[in-house]
Amino acid sequence: MYKKFLGSLIALVILSMVVVACAPSTTATPEMTQPPVAETVAPQQTEAPTAPTTEQPTEASQATQEPIKIGFFSPTTDFAAADGTSALQSAQLAVKILNEKGGILGRQIELVFYDDAAKPDQASAIARKLIEQDKVVAAVSGSYSGATRAAAPIFQEAGIPMLSAYAIHPEITKTGNMIFRIGTLADVEGRVGAELIGKVLNLKKVAILTVDNDFGISLTDGFKKRAADLGLEIVLEEKYPLGETEFRPIISKIKSSGAEVVYATGYYNEAANLVSQAKDEGLNIPIIGQEGYDSPKFIELAGDAAEGVIITTDLNRDSDNPMTKTFLEQYKATYGEDADMVGASAFDAVMVLAYAIQTAGSTDANAIVQALANLKDFKDVATGPFLQYTADRELIRPVSSQIVKDGAFHLYHEFDDINLITP
Amino acid sequence: MDFAQNLSNAIILACIYILMAAGLTMVYGVLKVLHIAHASVYTIGAFAGVVIYTWVGNFWISILIAMVISGVIGVLIYRFSYFYLLDAPRTVPLIASIGLFVMVTDLLQKPFLMGPYQRAFPVKGAGLPRIETPWFSMTSKQVLILLVTIMLITLVYLLLTKTRTGLSWQAASLDREMAAAVGINLNRVIALNFFIGSALAGAAGVLVGIYNNSVFATMGDLPSYKAFIIIVLGGMGSLPGVILASLLLAIVENFLVASIGYVLPRDSIAFLVLIFMLMFRPHGLLGRE
Repeated sequence: MYKKFLGSLIALVILSMVVVACAPSTTATPEMTQPPVAETVAPQQTEAPTAPTTEQPTEASQATQEPIKIGFFSPTTDFAAADGTSALQSAQLAVKILNEKGGILGRQIELVFYDDAAKPDQASAIARKLIEQDKVVAAVSGSYSGATRAAAPIFQEAGIPMLSAYAIHPEITKTGNMIFRIGTLADVEGRVGAELIGKVLNLKKVAILTVDNDFGISLTDGFKKRAADLGLEIVLEEKYPLGETEFRPIISKIKSSGAEVVYATGYYNEAANLVSQAKDEGLNIPIIGQEGYDSPKFIELAGDAAEGVIITTDLNRDSDNPMTKTFLEQYKATYGEDADMVGASAFDAVMVLAYAIQTAGSTDANAIVQALANLKDFKDVATGPFLQYTADRELIRPVSSQIVKDGAFHLYHEFDDINLITP
Repeated sequence: MDFAQNLSNAIILACIYILMAAGLTMVYGVLKVLHIAHASVYTIGAFAGVVIYTWVGNFWISILIAMVISGVIGVLIYRFSYFYLLDAPRTVPLIASIGLFVMVTDLLQKPFLMGPYQRAFPVKGAGLPRIETPWFSMTSKQVLILLVTIMLITLVYLLLTKTRTGLSWQAASLDREMAAAVGINLNRVIALNFFIGSALAGAAGVLVGIYNNSVFATMGDLPSYKAFIIIVLGGMGSLPGVILASLLLAIVENFLVASIGYVLPRDSIAFLVLIFMLMFRPHGLLGRE
C-alpha cells in the first residue's frame, strides 16, 4: 500500500512538471506544421489605386499583388494571452489604418502573425520561420522580455530589423544595430516614479513592492537610483511572486512601517488585488503604479479601490494628438473593448516601422535602420511624441502619469525633463 | 491587532483551500484516481457563476446553478473518461486527467468562451455585514466565504456519516470490489461522489472569483497542484485531514509572509511542507497507514 502510494506520488510530481512544461508546446506544435498564413491582414484590393487594367500594368497594380510583409509575434495563449491579444489586435488595427491610406511605398502591408505563448523557445522558432519561410522585411515583437530576447539575436544575425513594442529588458536592444525599442526603458520609468513621489506629490517615506521578474526588478532599480538623489526614505521593501493574489499580510506590514506612499510594480491583475485589499484593510496612503497597471481591466477588477491610484505610463488617454484619438476610438469600435498601453505600444511599433520603410524608400534593412535612427519628433503614433532614438536604439519620449478618476485614467502630470527621460 | 487580523485572513484562505481540496479527496477516496481535471471543473464553476451572476444578479442563485453545472460536468468527466480506465494502472487515468485539464484550459481561453482577459465578479458580499472588532476586521466578502464553506462542509460531513449513501461511499473507499459484492451499486455511488465533489469545486471557483474579483481561463493552475498538496498533507481520502491541512497551510503561508516577507513564493512553502511531510509522515496528518 505504502509503496503503491509513493509510486503514484512520484508519478504525480513528474507529471505535474510535464503539465507545466508541455502545456504551451501542445498548442504550438500544430502551428509549426501549418502553412505560414496563420493570421494575416489581407491586402485590400478595393483600396488599390484606380484603373489597374491588364493592358497597362502600372507599378501600383503590380505592387498590390506583392504586399510588404511584416512579421509579428505575441502570446495569444497561456498566461500572457491578455497582453498578447491586445498587442495583436492593435497591430492589426495599425495595418488596417495604413492600408486604407494606400499602404507604404504604394504597396499594401501584410502582417504575418504567430503565437509565441510568451515562451523564449517558441519565439526563436517563430523568428526563424518569419525570416526563412515568410521572408518578412522587418518584424515587431508584441511579446514579453524573455521571448523578445530570444528572438532578437536571430533577427540581428539575419540582418532583419526588429522593434520591441513593450518588452522592457535592457538586454534586448543591446543585441545589435537591428534591434530597436518602442516602450520606455524600465530604468527611466522607475526614475520617473521616484520623481513623481518626491517632486510632484512631495512625499518622503516609501514602501516598495516589487513583482519578482525582470520587469519589476528593473523598475525598482531605476526607482531607487532616483530616490537616492531625491532623498526619499525607503521604509520597507518586499518582493512578491508573479500572479500573487493574497496581499493582506504584506499590507499589514506596510501599515506598521510608517510609509506615506507605496510604490508597487506589477501587472493589472496583481495590482487590482493589491489596491482592493489595501482598501479593505484600511491602508489609506497613495499607491503609485506603472505601466503594468495600464489596462481598463485594472479599473474593472479593482472598482472603487482603483480611484486615486496614480501610474506612470506611455499612453496618455487625454492627449490631443490626433493619432492617439484615432487609435483609442477605432480600437473600441473594432474590438468592443477599451485599448490598453500594451496595445498602444504594438500599434506604435507598426506605425514607426511603416514610417521608416516609407522614408527609407525601400525595404532594404540598412535603409530602414538608418531611417529609424534619423527619426525626429514623430507624432503619428498613439503614445507619442517620439523625440528621437539614442545611439543605443532606445527611444527618448515624454513619460506621462495618469490618475484613476471616475473609473477612467486621466492625465496627472507629464514628465518631459530631457535629463530625466533620456535612457 | 496584527496577529488576530492575520489569523482571520488565514482562516478565510483556508476556507478556499478546503473547498478546492474536499471534492478531490472524496474522489480519491473512492476511485483512487488523482483527478487533476478537478481544477478545470473549478474554473468552469467560476465561469458559470460569473455568467449567471451578470444575468440574474443574485449571488445565491448563481452559486447554486454553478454548483449544479460543475457537478454535472464532473459526472460527465467520470462517465466519458475514468469509467473506461478504472482497471488500468493508476498512471493511465492520471495522464488522461492531465490531458483533460490542459485541453479544457486551452478551450476556455478561446474568445467564444472566456477569452484571454480576466472578468470582474462584482459580488460585494451578498448583503452580509462587515465585522469590526478591536482585534480584527472581516470584510463582507470574507464573511460570505466563511459562511458558505461552513455550510457546505457541514452538509457534506452529515451526508458522509449520517446517510446510507455516505455509508456506501465509505464502504467503496475501503474496498471497491468487496462493496460491489455486498450489493452496493458502485456506478451510482461513484457518480454521486463525482457530482458532490465537483459541485464543491464549482463553489470554490465561484468564491475565489468573488474574493479576487476576477475569473479567467487559467485560474485552475493554482488548485491543480495546491489541492494535491493539501490532500497529501491531510492524508489521501480524509475529509477532516483536508480541513486540518488547509488551516495549517494557510496559517503558515500567511504568517511567514507577514513576518519575513516573500522570501519564497507563497506556493513553494506548500511544497516544502509537503516534502517534510513525506519524509516523516508519508500517510499524511490523518491518513491511514
